[in-house]
Amino acid sequence: MRAPAIARAVVVVGLAAIGACGNGGGNAAREALIAAWKTGGLAPSAFAAVKDSPVGTDCQAGTVNHVDVMVCSYPSAEAAKAAQDLGLQWVGDTTGIATPKGSLLIVAADRKKADPKGTTINQLVKLAP
Amino acid sequence: MRTTMIVGLVGLVGLVGLVSPAVFAGDSHPHRVGHQVRFVGIHPIPKSEGGGMCAIEGPHVHIYAANKLEYRTHDGDNYFVGDPVAYNYEGPKYAYKGPHPIHVDAVVGGSPDTEYCYIEGPHYHYFRPADDPDFKLAGDAYFYVGEPPHAFVEARPALIGINATYRPLVYTRPVVEVDAPTGWIGARAEFVTPGVVVESPGVGWGHHDHDGVVVGGGAVVGAGIGVTIVAPPPPSISIGIGVGVGVGVGVGGGAVVHERGHDRGHDKGRHRGWR
Repeated sequence: MRAPAIARAVVVVGLAAIGACGNGGGNAAREALIAAWKTGGLAPSAFAAVKDSPVGTDCQAGTVNHVDVMVCSYPSAEAAKAAQDLGLQWVGDTTGIATPKGSLLIVAADRKKADPKGTTINQLVKLAP
Repeated sequence: MRTTMIVGLVGLVGLVGLVSPAVFAGDSHPHRVGHQVRFVGIHPIPKSEGGGMCAIEGPHVHIYAANKLEYRTHDGDNYFVGDPVAYNYEGPKYAYKGPHPIHVDAVVGGSPDTEYCYIEGPHYHYFRPADDPDFKLAGDAYFYVGEPPHAFVEARPALIGINATYRPLVYTRPVVEVDAPTGWIGARAEFVTPGVVVESPGVGWGHHDHDGVVVGGGAVVGAGIGVTIVAPPPPSISIGIGVGVGVGVGVGGGAVVHERGHDRGHDKGRHRGWR
């Protein structure tokens, strides 16, 4: 009788720990995404957390082949899809995308005109796991 | 005086509406951001923006407009229905002859959506037809042999102008040398272009009858002048006196292209969508 109670406590503490670490699944998915870009031949920079991003509460930004990229993580795929328009606002007046991939939202803006034919931006989505 | 001011104000508002990007295709999307224009699928890039083709297959935005002849609206995005080869596209391509439906959702995903291509002569798209028994493959080109839906016929007058856009473009078109299958839409009365087009045999936009005489876009009877501009290689212009009434200009590829698109057979035209 006592053993199950201890097990339950362990589970609760474990879940709390996961919660305290923030969006652990989101980070894993984002890291897998960036790794896939590298494997696919793209050159992502280091991605850093974006404070107070209007697109989401868990966003990281960097560049990929000189294209500005932000990857935001959400609790669900529906939430990621719902944030598309916020992503497009971040893109602004330039070529870009705000494409959900599972619970991630890939946002890219070619502000430096580094991708005139869109090949890098296309790969950002095509290479996503 | 007051009336004049009101009229002037109304006129100014109208003028602003005319020059605003909002008048271009795709402006109906409820979530438009700034000057963004939404696209889905590959499409030509305006020369002013560098030219060539945009490779982004999924939904994306640019800060330039899409024209109404070469684009259709699909889920609020502009979808290119023209011939990408005219814009130096070098990817997989599939030859068609004559007007035909396009099942847009089979190419780029999204809501079920059938749009229509009104290019009359041989042309390419970067996608094959979706599984549809009304497309017949003959001479490596797809022919639409189905009964055209009312919407297909109804929109034709407004969109047939795409032929005037493409006719002067010099690029290598597919040359289709087989007889059209029975029921081909290009032979239907409602899909015969008003006016007259006469071309030299072997190239161009008309459709060749059994004797090699080109009959394109409407009744052609009597004597006339045909002008054919042959695209490279090698560039040349030939002017001939032929049989027919009126004057026509045809632009065609210099080479017979019976080219199989890469990947033919792959997912039968049902490309994985992006949504």
